[in-house]
Amino acid sequence: MKILICVKQVPDMESRFKPDNAGVWFSDTDLAFRMNEYDEYAVEQAVQLREQLGDAADLTVLSIGPDRIVEALKKALAMGCDRAVHIQDPAAALKDPWQIAAIIAAFAKDKGFDLIFTGLQSQDRGSAQVGVTVAERLGFACTTTLVGFAFADGVITAKRELEGGVKGVVKLRTPALVTCQLGLNVPRYPTLPNIMKSKKKELVTIPVADLLHEEALAVTARFYPPAKKGGGIVLEGDVGDMAEKLIAILKEKTNVLR
Amino acid sequence: MNFELSQDHKVLRDSVRDFVEKEIKPLAIKIDEDHKIPEELIGKMSAMGLMGSYVPEEYEGAGLDMLSYAIVVEEVSKACGSSGVLISAHTSLACDPIYRFGTAEQKSKYLPDLATGRKIGCILLTEPDVGSDVSGMATMYRREGDEFVINGGKTFITNGACLGTGILFATHDKSLKHKGISAFIVDLKSPGVTILKNEKKMGIRGSYTTAFAFDDLRVPVANMLGQEGQGFKIAMETLNGGRIGIASQALGIAEGAFERALAYSKERKQFGAPICDLQAIQFKLADMYSRIEMSKLLVYKAAWMKDSKMNYAMESAMCKMCASETATYVTKEAVQIHGGYGYISDYEVERMYRDAKITEIYEGTNEVQRVVISKMLLA
Repeated sequence: MKILICVKQVPDMESRFKPDNAGVWFSDTDLAFRMNEYDEYAVEQAVQLREQLGDAADLTVLSIGPDRIVEALKKALAMGCDRAVHIQDPAAALKDPWQIAAIIAAFAKDKGFDLIFTGLQSQDRGSAQVGVTVAERLGFACTTTLVGFAFADGVITAKRELEGGVKGVVKLRTPALVTCQLGLNVPRYPTLPNIMKSKKKELVTIPVADLLHEEALAVTARFYPPAKKGGGIVLEGDVGDMAEKLIAILKEKTNVLR
Repeated sequence: MNFELSQDHKVLRDSVRDFVEKEIKPLAIKIDEDHKIPEELIGKMSAMGLMGSYVPEEYEGAGLDMLSYAIVVEEVSKACGSSGVLISAHTSLACDPIYRFGTAEQKSKYLPDLATGRKIGCILLTEPDVGSDVSGMATMYRREGDEFVINGGKTFITNGACLGTGILFATHDKSLKHKGISAFIVDLKSPGVTILKNEKKMGIRGSYTTAFAFDDLRVPVANMLGQEGQGFKIAMETLNGGRIGIASQALGIAEGAFERALAYSKERKQFGAPICDLQAIQFKLADMYSRIEMSKLLVYKAAWMKDSKMNYAMESAMCKMCASETATYVTKEAVQIHGGYGYISDYEVERMYRDAKITEIYEGTNEVQRVVISKMLLA
């Protein structure tokens, strides 16, 4: 069973983001990067599937971006992927989801992948479009937002998270693509011996120009921090009124109360 | 010249950092209070590969380099100095001499258990009257047939009460001074080994500091490490490498305290503003961070020199001296920045202050480090 896992390297979300010189994305100087959290669930699920299937499974991890993203690929290899593909693109951050999906689909086409795992979305751009667009371009079955995964007799049973905590179960045949959500699993730590072993695994580099033949459908026009606001909302009135208002806000803006 | 870690080292650092954040950091206060690192945590650290970072893969270690090991000890020590020294003493002072001076049989017999944490290693060198001057050793050995018989006592043995594999030093003739010393690989669960006590300490309380008595401890002849009379050389070369481990521990403790002090200075408000707006605090932070960076450069350089097979004796002495003095300085200032809360256990910097002090003392006091450095300068 040939499995492809698509990962993205994103900035640590506790970073202080500053616009780049063109003002269309964040500047990546002085930022610490790590693997997109949702993609860690994707890698973990693929590695668990391999533990289930044994050597019958073959795991390729793919990422698009500048040389620094090789770190994310190396982590995936150390978690248990068999080989890595680096699609070298210093300007990946400026591409829209359509182009990113086109690159992945161009790579995956005719390679005989049975199953593709991606994260639900990236923590930085958060479009949640890449996985589903790849599935569409390849003609794969697809379901999203997985919080449970099982595979038996060529059929995937996917538990999905829907709005308001409701769950759904979808069954689909391979070839298929699934996108992974928080709660699907607990990603393993790459152990030191596995980090060492991963150094001997295959890592292929492909220039993005070999795979990309699509124009962008959408362009990010501006990237800017929110305007600084004053010190939040001050509730007024008697205690009962304030409590009512607070409950209304918590219900509307948060998951604390439903 | 390149001061950036390689991508492989960054992957390692981030993996260990995530592990420490989730598995060790939440236990650090309890480890200090209980005077014990839970077996379960030692199991997790072993499964992660932290006990055999640079032991070669053929002996079930990870086969990484010295810089990787320094990063491991540093990251662990950011959260818990006791766990840091567990790894450092085990790796530098037990795995390392067996790997460097052991026979093929000794390596295959002892390294796999150590590298996977099934046994915890220690070095048994210090005696009640023998600290910096090893040549005055009083623990004696004599040969009887196929065995050596050892009598005497050792003190301040880090990891001692784990009762794993020890590298024990003894003399067969005190008048020969350092030339009479030999080293032995011993199983500390053997008959003739008695724990006299585990010391109560100022800091690194989760780490065992054990006093032993040896009463006719019998060791097979095959367990002599290196040649007879080579013990002093083995001890000195082992401590050279060990200093990088302790320097990494000190560096980690300093970084852990700094992270907390920096965060606290932004949260704590006095006079209507965060205290980090005050120049008195800003200057402290600048001094602390600069000293940490200085120490880090020295520690990584010494590790890199060891990896590059260069003579690193002077660099290991300098990095141990600088990093340990950075640790005591930074932790002291971290307590000061926290004010009264810094003196309270929950804020953890007081533990780090206590943990830091030992790094100026063990694996060669900083006075001895200065002797090593100045001797090399004047040689």
